[in-house]
Amino acid sequence: MSTQPAPGQPRQPLDVKAVPFGDSALMVSVAADDDEARQAGSRRLREILLEVQPHGLLDVVAGVDSLLVEFDCLAISHDQLAQTVRLAAAGSGAGTAGHAHGSEHFVIPMVVNEAFAPDLADVATELGISPEAVLGHLEASVLSINLLASAMAPMMGRVQFPGQVSRCREPRTNVDAGSVMVAGTNAIIQPFPGPTGWKVIGRTPLTICDIRENPPTSYKPGDTVQFSVVPESEWEKLQGQFLRAARGQSAAAPASSATATEREN
Amino acid sequence: MSAAERSVTLEVRENAWLATFQDLGREQSEALGVPCGGAADQHSASVANILVGNPRAATSVEMMGGRFAFDTSQPVLIAVTGTPADVTVNGNEVPMWEPVCIPANARVVIGNARHGMRNYLAFGGTLVTERFMGSASPEARMGFPQQISAGQRLELLTRYTGFEHPFLTQPLFRLPVPIPSFEQPVWTVDIVEGPETDAAPGIRELLASREYTVTAKSNHVGLRLDGPVVHPEGLGEIVSHGVPIGAFEIPHGDELIILGRYRTLTAGYPIVAFATKASLPMLGQARPGQRMAFRWVANDAAVESHHEAQRLLHALEERVQSLFGALDLPHGAIPVPAPAAA
Repeated sequence: MSTQPAPGQPRQPLDVKAVPFGDSALMVSVAADDDEARQAGSRRLREILLEVQPHGLLDVVAGVDSLLVEFDCLAISHDQLAQTVRLAAAGSGAGTAGHAHGSEHFVIPMVVNEAFAPDLADVATELGISPEAVLGHLEASVLSINLLASAMAPMMGRVQFPGQVSRCREPRTNVDAGSVMVAGTNAIIQPFPGPTGWKVIGRTPLTICDIRENPPTSYKPGDTVQFSVVPESEWEKLQGQFLRAARGQSAAAPASSATATEREN
Repeated sequence: MSAAERSVTLEVRENAWLATFQDLGREQSEALGVPCGGAADQHSASVANILVGNPRAATSVEMMGGRFAFDTSQPVLIAVTGTPADVTVNGNEVPMWEPVCIPANARVVIGNARHGMRNYLAFGGTLVTERFMGSASPEARMGFPQQISAGQRLELLTRYTGFEHPFLTQPLFRLPVPIPSFEQPVWTVDIVEGPETDAAPGIRELLASREYTVTAKSNHVGLRLDGPVVHPEGLGEIVSHGVPIGAFEIPHGDELIILGRYRTLTAGYPIVAFATKASLPMLGQARPGQRMAFRWVANDAAVESHHEAQRLLHALEERVQSLFGALDLPHGAIPVPAPAAA
């Protein structure tokens, strides 16, 4: 028999691990027993660091369950920065998770056909369900953007799949922009053409990142996303539109998704 | 002579193999998934700007291979740094690593680069170009190539109107310029240990004792080197995590990758060493065929080398500022105590 803390009870303070990564960076993570807790801890740490902006901090690269903290080694040492991170973590609500204020919701239309979803059948086979069920699980999941990966790609969790999706044995050398891809129980959208080992199960006609926009993406870590499969006939109308949040006037979001948006808000 | 700023047009005649606008890179962009980018050889790019009285992080031209040439109808102040090359003004050879006063109606040619990979051309004043996330540095994948081609006209905003010394036709600049040496057949690169150094038994000794050769598969994402490697054991799957510039990765094949400024920000390969911050500019100059040796140093020594390099840049900045002040040349640098980019 085990005891669980009552809901709403404050969690333990974050147990911060910090390892030097060269003379000007520190690999920071949160010691925890399970993947979820480590990932949530590192998301929380990231928010804290970007808010506190420790002296000498240059940039932060989010990994799946860690943060690379880059710093000016003439301004601060590994030990000093590690201590600052621990103090900041200890002084910030004892590790309470939860999203920062102002998180937004996005409904992202996607088209599924043979050319856009070359791995859908594979994913279905691996999960032991039908391709329709794969898409059903994806559409039913309210995903959270955990981090912006290469070229501002939104890396999202957690898709309510009944199991883990493996990566391609041979990574593809070039996947088109807009491709909706899954691996493990994560989803990601390819913002620009490029290589990937993730499985491609659809494509959005929207432009999700455009360097002529300021900022180049409307989304940020902590925002929520739902996918909505739309008929191929919608493609032309939506193609190239810049993705914006669902609230307010969202020309891109099909009417059927409005209920999902409201439920979220 | 501190005249008002005016616009000068520079006509590009030859564009080298690749010439781009460049600066020291983006700040705080990696948290958003955009690599910092910036000059591969940050030392040479900084010195070029310092020598023409610019802030270190001003926009310059980074070029690789072949010949780069431009014409100017107005006087401009330039400096060329980086790997040894031939620089001529109207056919007359002029020195690198010095401010050079270019007269009106001149053609400047930079070519025959040897040993290293890149040259930097800075102009006193501001090169007009677009910016992405605050930087002129290319980000080709995201649609920001910043490439400069023959026939292109570059706009320079400058307060420089020419310089004539009453006693000397050739102005004498005796400046303490820290010029790296690119001529040795084997470059020595300082390294500190990485998280998987101990998981690869023998890698310490190999890196310390053997030579490695840069291969043609290298690019701005990373240098790839031929040489003996040991694959770390018993690590299991490494979850994707952030990787700093200068990380020594051992991929599945028998090669060594040293990540550059345009690296993919996260990776899951074992890291057996990191180049020190002070050795990154040399790595940014390595061309295929370059042989390298590695030297393990303690973290304190790595920080001290970076400190020394920054001290030399700062000393140069101060000398240039007082020289330009004495000669009434325009100087746009404001003293910046902190380094400008990662």
